[in-house]
Amino acid sequence: MDLLLYGLDLLVFIGIFGILAISLNLEFGFSGLANFGKVAFFLVGAYTYALLSQIGLPFYLCLIAGALVAAIFGLLISLPALRLRADYLAIVVLAFGEILRLIVKSEDWLAGGDWGLSVSPAISITGVSPRVDLLVNIALVFSCLLICFVVAQLLSNSPYGRVIRAIREDEVAAEALGKNRAKYKAQIFMLGSAMAGLAGGLYAQYLQAIVPMLFLPIITFTIWIMVLVGGPANNWGVLVGAALVEIFERGANIAKDYIALPIDPSNLQYILFGVLILLVLFYRPQGLFKESPIKTRALEVVRHAREQVKGEGG
Amino acid sequence: MDVNWAQVLFNSAITGSLYLLGAVGLTLTYGLSSFPNFAHAEFITLGAFLGYTIGTQLGLGLPIALVVTFFAAGLVGLLCYRGIFQPLAKRGATIIHLMVASIALSFILRYSMGAIWSWKPYYFASSWAAFDVGPLRVTDLWLWLIAVAVGLAIVMHLGLVKTRMGKAIRATSSNPDLALAAGINISKVILVTWFVGAGLAAVAGIFRGADTQVWPLTGWDIILPIFAVTILGGIGNFYGAIAAAFIIGLAENFGVVGLMALGLSTSYRLGISFVILIITLIVKPQGLAMFFRRA
Repeated sequence: MDLLLYGLDLLVFIGIFGILAISLNLEFGFSGLANFGKVAFFLVGAYTYALLSQIGLPFYLCLIAGALVAAIFGLLISLPALRLRADYLAIVVLAFGEILRLIVKSEDWLAGGDWGLSVSPAISITGVSPRVDLLVNIALVFSCLLICFVVAQLLSNSPYGRVIRAIREDEVAAEALGKNRAKYKAQIFMLGSAMAGLAGGLYAQYLQAIVPMLFLPIITFTIWIMVLVGGPANNWGVLVGAALVEIFERGANIAKDYIALPIDPSNLQYILFGVLILLVLFYRPQGLFKESPIKTRALEVVRHAREQVKGEGG
Repeated sequence: MDVNWAQVLFNSAITGSLYLLGAVGLTLTYGLSSFPNFAHAEFITLGAFLGYTIGTQLGLGLPIALVVTFFAAGLVGLLCYRGIFQPLAKRGATIIHLMVASIALSFILRYSMGAIWSWKPYYFASSWAAFDVGPLRVTDLWLWLIAVAVGLAIVMHLGLVKTRMGKAIRATSSNPDLALAAGINISKVILVTWFVGAGLAAVAGIFRGADTQVWPLTGWDIILPIFAVTILGGIGNFYGAIAAAFIIGLAENFGVVGLMALGLSTSYRLGISFVILIITLIVKPQGLAMFFRRA
């Protein structure tokens, strides 16, 4: 096995799941939206990409279209539940993910059924080694990750970010201050879904084939682990979470070839994931990294003024 | 297309009975503990595996399997609440944290069952006597299922109305603070509800497993209609759940006839529950609760 190839492949996965973690962080971490159907929007992005690339659209248009279609689905599906409690949204979106997978599984003419669709890679340079190919993919995935990260970072440190955090902390108080919570929630949900759709497109073109079996609820759960372990409402934290979980998954995959266990390792892996989540919820609900404080100009001015007053007093 | 409408109606009753057994525990624990327990699907699956092991592998038959499984799974449900959800709630976990914990529990249970019983499907010994009643094809298993569901509805109704524990459950469900002030032992009420709810889910699992297959996703396969029953019936509302279970049973079975007439895949029967779920949330998120007193 080519170790370098393996490492590069791992990097691509960290990048794609990093985007998903950033997007769930916007929804859950900053806005308190329980998206239990993350995989649905990932699927929408992947299938949109695959279908559009088959009719010959250039890859960047396919990626953008995947994100847009996912955003529209995100809006439509969240609308009935956004005014209600967090649990209604969780149930509806989780159910939506199952239904979508059912549709792509059943509709052979559209989505290839169980056999799925084959996808051409975004950028293919003829006659290069797999390593160069992977490097191209890494560049593509990480530039998308960078865009998402910067958007999330700017948004969460803006006045808009303060509003969504306020809605997360106390919906009624935020509404009393004149903030339309349903509107803000819908916007965040659309943005989060768009990012998930983008990640789906990248995933489809990287794997070059997608099947319904790739989009099981376990994907949603994995992204939740990344966010919870890394630290909700901390964009750097969830990136670390994404990297740790991906490395753990790879490690477990390698280890099972060398260690004899009484339990089938593929079962054990998910049991451990579940235990890990419970441990985090019990002993460190804030994750590895605490919520990052808001950085804005106004706050800096206040802090500066405070220090001056202190200085004069002393 | 030639449709045996009497059979469709009978099938709706079977489906409704199954969903009622499956959803009672979910709706009652959801109402009392204020979060949806996604691991409820795993109680159903556990019932299917235990029922298979006791009923078919040990050859003790359906009635013994039903009783033993009810108590065993009830105990598991009680321990899950006692060991995970109650301490988490005491630590001030939010509803999202409780839901995530229930998904984590769901994965722990599902893959543990996968490790114990493996992922290859099992089938109950297919010795259900089938006979014809007029235009209907009926099996032993279905008659058992309907009998258990009707029995449950009667026993639960009498229990909720006549017994101290039933009254305490209703009081706690409609206003926990007032119930506490009235001297009701709320934590005992909640424990009993989790026990009974998980036990009944497991009973549903036996029937589902006997009718289809037993594997680690037996419960997850029907979690969508069970959530639809819970929401349509009104969270925490037992009588609403009865009505909702049979409404969804009817919708699914008549819907399947419609799907076949349209030439669509019958696996979309799950989509029918989804549509009902969405419509309920848009039109009346409280579901049918307004027609029934809370219980």
